[in-house]
Amino acid sequence: MAAVKYIASEKLPEWLKALASERRVLVPVEEGGGVVFRPFDPARQPVFGSDATAPPKAAVFPACQELFRYENGKDPEDAGKPTLNIIPTIEATPTVVFGAKPCGARGFLIFDRVYQGKKFPDPYYTAARDATVFITMACATVENTCFCNWVGSGPADTAGSDVLLTPIAGGYLVEAVSDKGAPFLDSPLLTDGAAKTAEAEAVRTKARESLAPAPDIADAPAALLAAFDDMDFWRDQSDKCISCGACTYLCPTCYCFTITDETAGNAGRRMRSWDACMHFQFTLEASGHNPRPTKAHRLRNRVGHKFSYYPTLHEGLIACCGCGRCVKSCPVSVDIREIVQNAVARAKA
Amino acid sequence: MSRLEELKTRIKEALPGLECVIGWQKGYDLLHHTPLFMRSEADVDKLEWSPLNVHNPAVYLPPFRGKKVGVVVKGCDSRSVVELLQEKLVNRDEIVIFGLPCDGVVDLSKVKAKLATAGVTAGQVEAVSHNDKTIVVTAGGKAVSMQMTDVAADKCLRCQFPNAVLADAYVGDPIAPSAPSPAADADLTALDAMSVPERMAFWRYHMDRCIRCYACRNACPMCVCRDHCIAQSREPHWLSQDDTVTEKLMFQVVHAMHLAGRCTECGECQRACPMDIPVLALKKHLNRTIHDLFNYQAGVDPAAIPPLLQFKVEEDNIKERGW
Amino acid sequence: MPVLTGKELRIVGFLCNWCSYGGADTAGVGRFNQPTDLRIIRVPCSGRIDPLFIVKTLLNGADGVLVSGCHPRDCHYAEGNFYARRRLEVLKRFLPILGIDPGRFDYTWVSASEGQRWQKVVTVFTEQIHALGPAPRHATVAPELLAKVAGVLSQGGNRVAA
Repeated sequence: MAAVKYIASEKLPEWLKALASERRVLVPVEEGGGVVFRPFDPARQPVFGSDATAPPKAAVFPACQELFRYENGKDPEDAGKPTLNIIPTIEATPTVVFGAKPCGARGFLIFDRVYQGKKFPDPYYTAARDATVFITMACATVENTCFCNWVGSGPADTAGSDVLLTPIAGGYLVEAVSDKGAPFLDSPLLTDGAAKTAEAEAVRTKARESLAPAPDIADAPAALLAAFDDMDFWRDQSDKCISCGACTYLCPTCYCFTITDETAGNAGRRMRSWDACMHFQFTLEASGHNPRPTKAHRLRNRVGHKFSYYPTLHEGLIACCGCGRCVKSCPVSVDIREIVQNAVARAKA
Repeated sequence: MSRLEELKTRIKEALPGLECVIGWQKGYDLLHHTPLFMRSEADVDKLEWSPLNVHNPAVYLPPFRGKKVGVVVKGCDSRSVVELLQEKLVNRDEIVIFGLPCDGVVDLSKVKAKLATAGVTAGQVEAVSHNDKTIVVTAGGKAVSMQMTDVAADKCLRCQFPNAVLADAYVGDPIAPSAPSPAADADLTALDAMSVPERMAFWRYHMDRCIRCYACRNACPMCVCRDHCIAQSREPHWLSQDDTVTEKLMFQVVHAMHLAGRCTECGECQRACPMDIPVLALKKHLNRTIHDLFNYQAGVDPAAIPPLLQFKVEEDNIKERGW
Repeated sequence: MPVLTGKELRIVGFLCNWCSYGGADTAGVGRFNQPTDLRIIRVPCSGRIDPLFIVKTLLNGADGVLVSGCHPRDCHYAEGNFYARRRLEVLKRFLPILGIDPGRFDYTWVSASEGQRWQKVVTVFTEQIHALGPAPRHATVAPELLAKVAGVLSQGGNRVAA
């Protein structure tokens, strides 16, 4: 591993200010009762103690993003010939996402396989991804909705991060994870941290051990497929769901979108925005037919996608980072852990 | 036999003729209950009645039309059922209403705030105990004691309907409503005190973090159009997908205005919001206007006609302005 | 650039086809002098007007909105304006809570023969809007004002003190 450094808590605002002088720095701050990522403002104290309400997904994959502008016109040489001018808007502000939990950064591993596949690489995603650095904060404490250990992750998972901070007495241990992150350890505000690695490891171990043990869900992909036609099973799982999109939009791994055009006169913009498979309109076809007409169908798809179809297509990678936001923020406490375990139990019976 | 046990007996008796009966059960931790759909006697045994029964089960009724279902209601939930009956979105002979007198529910965001000042989170809860005055939550090793009046939902602090306004099976003795506490309307009081530019700033501040998940809309029992909502339609095209305060606030105004004269202030919209946006304030303000102009309250009389669906040739409280 | 840019504000009028649009026409035929800020959208009846039209108009760039219909009891469709009166009065009292000055919206009744009344209504309303000035936008609220309202409602807490 590369160099290990340490930064005292009092020096952190200075480091953030130094980073913010060169790029956009997003930190978790308290806003109206929730915690959201906002550009660093020295007057607003960042909050690192617990997971942000919304993940930093929007830093790389905004809720609404302009793809291009278009203008209809006429050829100046030949009035009868219409022209169409398309101006793409690929933006990539250099950004540091500072203080997200490892689960928030891990989500992008699931995105990468979809948006940076060989056949159709997405230039918008790639530009933002390349321009964004993740300085994540390992968890010292866990909550009862955390289940990162179920999906091969953990409170100090480095997957998706560029630099990992671990909270210890008086400050944070700073470790480089990727080549992109290594230069950040050169800041003069950081001191050598070799003497503190044992303390950091103890913090990480304690966090890992306070998680409830993960059940064996190796059979989940097959179990979910086996339950596909059992609509009574899915009715029971989805009875209380109200088909909103809270779980989807707060999920660090959910990546679906819709494309809409907004035209005014002869010009307009094409935009890509978040979409949720929990909504009725998600699979509504122009004919009026909807292959997922009920919430039972849609919840089956959501759980199936995350714990069965995606892992099967992507070498076992589960499309869930175990952050638990869907459980915590669901208005009726739909619990995806319970649904996966019910499917596995059903397959065994 | 306790009230809850008696209620369970009554539900088990009614169950054979019903598709299901909707109530509440224990959730994923000691601070959360979750809706329960009872289809068997074993399901009925899971029924709970406590201040954690925050959800409004009336939201599940409209899709069950054509089938006979039962629903257990708090007083505020029963008003939603009455409003659905008024608008013929459910049929009276297709629902069986079970009621108990309600002492109020907690607002979990207030509980979380109390825990936060003690340096712990709700996600570390280890034990919960309560009597009618206090609730003690042990989390992260600390026992935090809270007054029920401090963590009760705002609607409970001014509740005038602690008993179901309409019920087929009512278990227990009806309780009298208490005088409304001014703390219950802290949101309206704060907004009333602001200048017009300050209110614009207020909505700009709060709507900025809206993620347009539509949890507010889908948690509302009266918003039955959810699958065909004009906020998401292209024909008619009211809103774009743009992630701006203007679009998001416009959706809230659409939602509020479509509820004018229909909203029973159950508060589910605000409770459901994952970003803690005070969306209920808009509906409370509209309801106050409806009350001032038409002396009307939604969800009380199944035979009433909502004020915006009728008129008077000479209005009592609307006078023409001079030019 | 149009001659009146910078001098005109954007005022939208929703006029019912039978009475108010006729009244505006009468004012025009009679060559009555009026400010030109107000641009008319014709609807069949004031009862057709969804209060959300007015909100969308104000949120999306208008500085003022005026609605005009037949006098109550004289609606061409008998009852449309009775419903409109209720809806628009509710809306007028709702706008201030959104941070929109209530002076930016008004509704009135102008009949087809009341050309002079129409002239008066347009002149008074336009002056009212000019006195209020261009409408502030949610997107451009001053940061000091945002900071001031941030702590007004102590709502809940999802966080642990760091």
